[in-house]
Amino acid sequence: MIRTEHLSKVYRMGKIEVPALRDVSLEIEEGEFLAIVGPSGSGKSTLLNMLGCLDKPTSGAVFIGGVNTASLSENELAEIRREKIGFIFQQFNLIHSLTALENVALPMFFAGVNSDARIKRAAELLAKVGLEKRMHHKPSELSGGQQQRVAIARALSNNPAVIIGDEPTGNVDSETGDAIMGILEGLNRNEGRTIIVVTHDTEIAAHAPRVIRMKDGRLLEE
Amino acid sequence: MKDIFLLAYRDIKERKARTSLTLMGIAVGIAAVIALMSVGYGFEQSVTGELVEMADLIFVMPGKANFGNYMELGSFNERDLKDVERIGGVKEAAAMISGMEEVEYRGEKTVMRVIGIDTRDISAIFGEVVKTGDGRDLRDNDHKACLIGHSIANDYFDEEIGVNDRINIGGSKFRVVGVLEKQGGFRSDVDSSIYITERDAKSILGNDEIAQITVRVRDIGEAELIAEEIEERIDENHKLDDFTSAMTMGSAIAQLKTIFTLLQAVLVAIASISLIVASIGIMNTMLMSVMERTHEIGIMKAIGAKNRNVLSLFLLESGMVSVAGGVCGCVLGIIGANVISIGIGAAFGEAIPAILRPEVLLGGIVVAVIVGVMSGLYPARKASKMSPVEAVRYE
Repeated sequence: MIRTEHLSKVYRMGKIEVPALRDVSLEIEEGEFLAIVGPSGSGKSTLLNMLGCLDKPTSGAVFIGGVNTASLSENELAEIRREKIGFIFQQFNLIHSLTALENVALPMFFAGVNSDARIKRAAELLAKVGLEKRMHHKPSELSGGQQQRVAIARALSNNPAVIIGDEPTGNVDSETGDAIMGILEGLNRNEGRTIIVVTHDTEIAAHAPRVIRMKDGRLLEE
Repeated sequence: MKDIFLLAYRDIKERKARTSLTLMGIAVGIAAVIALMSVGYGFEQSVTGELVEMADLIFVMPGKANFGNYMELGSFNERDLKDVERIGGVKEAAAMISGMEEVEYRGEKTVMRVIGIDTRDISAIFGEVVKTGDGRDLRDNDHKACLIGHSIANDYFDEEIGVNDRINIGGSKFRVVGVLEKQGGFRSDVDSSIYITERDAKSILGNDEIAQITVRVRDIGEAELIAEEIEERIDENHKLDDFTSAMTMGSAIAQLKTIFTLLQAVLVAIASISLIVASIGIMNTMLMSVMERTHEIGIMKAIGAKNRNVLSLFLLESGMVSVAGGVCGCVLGIIGANVISIGIGAAFGEAIPAILRPEVLLGGIVVAVIVGVMSGLYPARKASKMSPVEAVRYE
């Protein structure tokens, strides 16, 4: 499903080159639930950005469904993000001026889904994460846990095969964190979606059957 | 399509104060252009409109005339008039003998322009526009009778002069047989002239020198050619070069139109400065908006927005603000044009109508949209080119 080959990423800060990923080769099967753990600065978020087509590698390749994303244009990458990948962020990253329903419907808007179908599906997804009563609230009127559930509903809106979470429980208490991991586990187990989660919390990582560790931009062990 | 409008509208609404200020900027610019153009058209029409009524006229004068400056070089004679009448295409030609004479009414004295006319020429001189208000026209058999302009009747003397009143012209008593309607504008000289018969004029003024020949042509299109021929003929009679000025109203209208077009271009150019300022305002607002929303742009891109989705969203925002600005500008412009028109009327007594042409209003909105899209383009491109990973990280 997703494969990386000798993936490297070097950030340039003025004249200094900072290697963030060094020669990472990884294979993720369809329907896997994978946690990437490591201290901050270990390169786990950088790896996640490459896997999620948010960023391009300096060298090496990322194959998603057999396609090498390094050769794709910005718009083609946007299409992959839209159709194949759902993102969940630590900061929830909802759009403040839009209601929960509108936030969930937004990726479908970019995908060209018509208005009625969008609203119907967004409402269903919000019901699925238990927010049917808060659909018309703006993010500022929702708790952290509720916002993250809106974000999960949004990640699901275009029915992606892969859900990518960057510290999805980092901004909520442990109880809510467990609930969110529960939702993700359900999506993996019941719907067969591939889940990739980055976390520094080993307890959270314990939810995942497969855990990989990173340090200084390298994969340590499985 | 509807949804992206809605999205843009939401974003605009989030920043009400800033949006309304930007909108006002563009509205003032558009309003200035519309108001100045409308007043300009009104001014042009009130001036040239009068002249169009006199389009078949050629004024022939013994001297050089150039807008406002006239240098008399001599006078015409009967032979000149006969020659002019013989030129093909001339419908009628009327000679005027004129001079300044002392005029007295109920003990008050002043000096006035007295014009002697052949009564058969009244239609040639006055045409369709100058009409007798009170009383009647001069007749051929009138003796010591006069027709007076509106200002002479009402303004020059403490007491108003009416029909059948008697005034003293150059020492002789004249009976007023008629008062002309008020003319104003280009024919304001009529208001302050006294018309008497040619016979009386010769005896009062003591000469029969012709100061002006008024010609009416059959075909307005030939007026220029006829005017040239008149100049040649009379110059030949007097064996002088550039002695005669034959001015057609057509050329006067053309000259005036050129002046008005220029004047309007200058006014619009000045008003356009405010539009340039407004467009800088939009660009600034949009750039700030793009900066503030970097994180949001990152989110949109992360969840699958393409560059053109972001581009069109921001362009739409600046476009919507500028369309609203354009509409407000039209309304302000209409109000402004009328205020200026009323102001000029109050200040100078001469009402200048504000002519609001639909194409000017439409043009105002089109210009607003162009300004909005042009100044929104750079910020929108900047937003669309953002790297999703950097934008989403931006706090």
